[in-house]
Amino acid sequence: MSQGEYPVYEVFGQKDRLAFHTHVGSIRAANPEMALQMAREAFFRRETVVDIWVVPQDAIYSAAQEPAYLPQIGEDKKYRLPSGYDNAPHWKRFKARAMSIEEVAEEMTGKRG
Amino acid sequence: MDDPIRTREFLDRLEQGDKIEATDWMPSEYRDLLIKQIHMHGISEIMGAYPEKEWVPKAPTIRRKLALNAKVQDEIGHGQMLLRLAEDLSRPYGRGREALMDDVIAGRVKFHNVFHMSAPTWADAGVIGFLVDGGAIITQAMLLDSSYAPYARMLKRIVAEESFHMQHGESVVLALAEGTDAQRNMLQEAINRWWEPMMFFFGPREMGRGSQRMMEYKIRTLTNEDLRQKFINRYVPRVRALGMSIPDPKLKQDPATGLWEYTDPDWDWFNKMVRDNSGPMSQARIALRRYAHEEQRWVREAVNHATQALAELPGA
Amino acid sequence: MDHETREALIRLITPIADDEWIVGHRGSEWLGLAPELEEDLAFSSIHQDEMGHALYLYELLHDLGEPDPDALVYARPVASWRNACFVEAANGDWAATVVRRYFYEMFDRLRLEALAHVDFTPLAHGLKKIQREEAFHLKHFALWMEMLAQGGDEARRRVIDAVAAVWPTLSDLFDWGLRDDVQAQLGLPPALALKDAWVREVRAQFQDWQLPWPGEIPTTMEHNGRAGRHTPALDDILTTMRAVRVIAPESAW
Repeated sequence: MSQGEYPVYEVFGQKDRLAFHTHVGSIRAANPEMALQMAREAFFRRETVVDIWVVPQDAIYSAAQEPAYLPQIGEDKKYRLPSGYDNAPHWKRFKARAMSIEEVAEEMTGKRG
Repeated sequence: MDDPIRTREFLDRLEQGDKIEATDWMPSEYRDLLIKQIHMHGISEIMGAYPEKEWVPKAPTIRRKLALNAKVQDEIGHGQMLLRLAEDLSRPYGRGREALMDDVIAGRVKFHNVFHMSAPTWADAGVIGFLVDGGAIITQAMLLDSSYAPYARMLKRIVAEESFHMQHGESVVLALAEGTDAQRNMLQEAINRWWEPMMFFFGPREMGRGSQRMMEYKIRTLTNEDLRQKFINRYVPRVRALGMSIPDPKLKQDPATGLWEYTDPDWDWFNKMVRDNSGPMSQARIALRRYAHEEQRWVREAVNHATQALAELPGA
Repeated sequence: MDHETREALIRLITPIADDEWIVGHRGSEWLGLAPELEEDLAFSSIHQDEMGHALYLYELLHDLGEPDPDALVYARPVASWRNACFVEAANGDWAATVVRRYFYEMFDRLRLEALAHVDFTPLAHGLKKIQREEAFHLKHFALWMEMLAQGGDEARRRVIDAVAAVWPTLSDLFDWGLRDDVQAQLGLPPALALKDAWVREVRAQFQDWQLPWPGEIPTTMEHNGRAGRHTPALDDILTTMRAVRVIAPESAW
């Protein structure tokens, strides 16, 4: 391999403080500090971010090559989901209304979803 | 030879509309077609920066200079993103950025015919944004649904930036069309120069085997002729609306089918130019890339050297 | 605002705007030619920033009664430009470019700090954004200096040669281009103080990077951009810059 070759860094950006870091692409750079400076101009020329991560590509392990590692959520796991419950008609019998977590959150944060 | 059972499973996935990731198993033919396509696409973006780059120092207003600068920068950025994809695909071959860029200088990778042509006036800089970027968007929009997910994802980002390029190109062209006789003449001459290369841009009427295989693998979804017809259909009315003419006396739309008849570009001449890098500006532009890549390899070596030296310092 | 203050502000801002514009123009010559694609992007953004700063300052000048920004850039005679000769010189190789850009960014940081004393709200407002961007520029070129200085024999030799070559051309950078009394009136430190601060900062970093110190900065009188005595390089830039516009100088582009 050529002496001029740089390692690869995968780049993640965080749009605001409450957002997760999201993968946006990758760059080549000789070291993490160079990578951070380069990532900024390679992927965030038109948007503001509050943080940038650069991660050596070799540090990432992907599950995709081994199908057994990948989840497949079927009907049998419905008890894990809100849609697996049918409380509304029961609440109705007690003359009360079913509530969603979104409504609770809305009331707490004062934001409308 | 690839395992026939795995190949069958792979083709089934494609048939079901599934998308492929860089680390997934893929038939070597699929990998090689992707490398060839994305490598050429990436290098074309980089070589495509040069005809417009010439006009950055001469841009006639402050706003134009900033915008053209940003546009050329985006082309380099697209090249960077696409080369990264080609590099990841080339990993099993042990080929990275250095090798893929060496290919340009050695003439082992082709780039789009339009970037072998000269851009002698400011109007060319505008018409490149107007027609070439317009054509590129048509091709790239087709690839948004490519079976290779990293390519499709990256193109989503690229197409979003291209829409700024298109606005920029159109704005330059509109200003010239609204300008003095000298400005309008300059625009007409540039359109005359770029029309035939644009007819070649989408490739031959009869697609080669590689392009056909790419359709079978769902890397691309439309034929060359489909793309060219879309381009003609979109740009003929717009060029004429500006009071400009198109340098093709044969150009005519069949009212029944909607298809356009057009004069064939000089296929042999353009094919030879792309194959041998024998166009008017091919060698000059490759020389610019050689300067960036080869003559400055010492810089990249220095940064690697420094990185290592600093990591070895006590306390590092 | 009285006439005298207005004139003083115009004289203060013009060299800064011209420096930024010319630095941006020279930087844009590297488009597509940087030693790596990623740096091409970073380098280009930095120089778009510089041109953006120039535009902001040209707009301020226009508000103070000067011609509009495009006229200032495209129609002003060469002798009216007030950028330092240091910034108009050709780029040279990557080492020379990094050295020049690092020297300029360090100077620019100190100049921006000094400008904070000037009592002119629109300028203070623009400086905030400019300062944030310039902080990145300085970090960027300081990192490049470090990489090249520690980058082995060839890179080190190129940096040392580049420093030696640009050293005798530095002096007009530190000139405010103002009469001493006007400069004091505006609340600015003397040019000498600016130069001393620059030498202190750069010298400390040179020590970290183990680069030899080239000694006193010689004062040259032959060329002084702040007084409009430019090198032929500025003529070249302006001729190139105006090549398209002269086709229809009064038309929209």
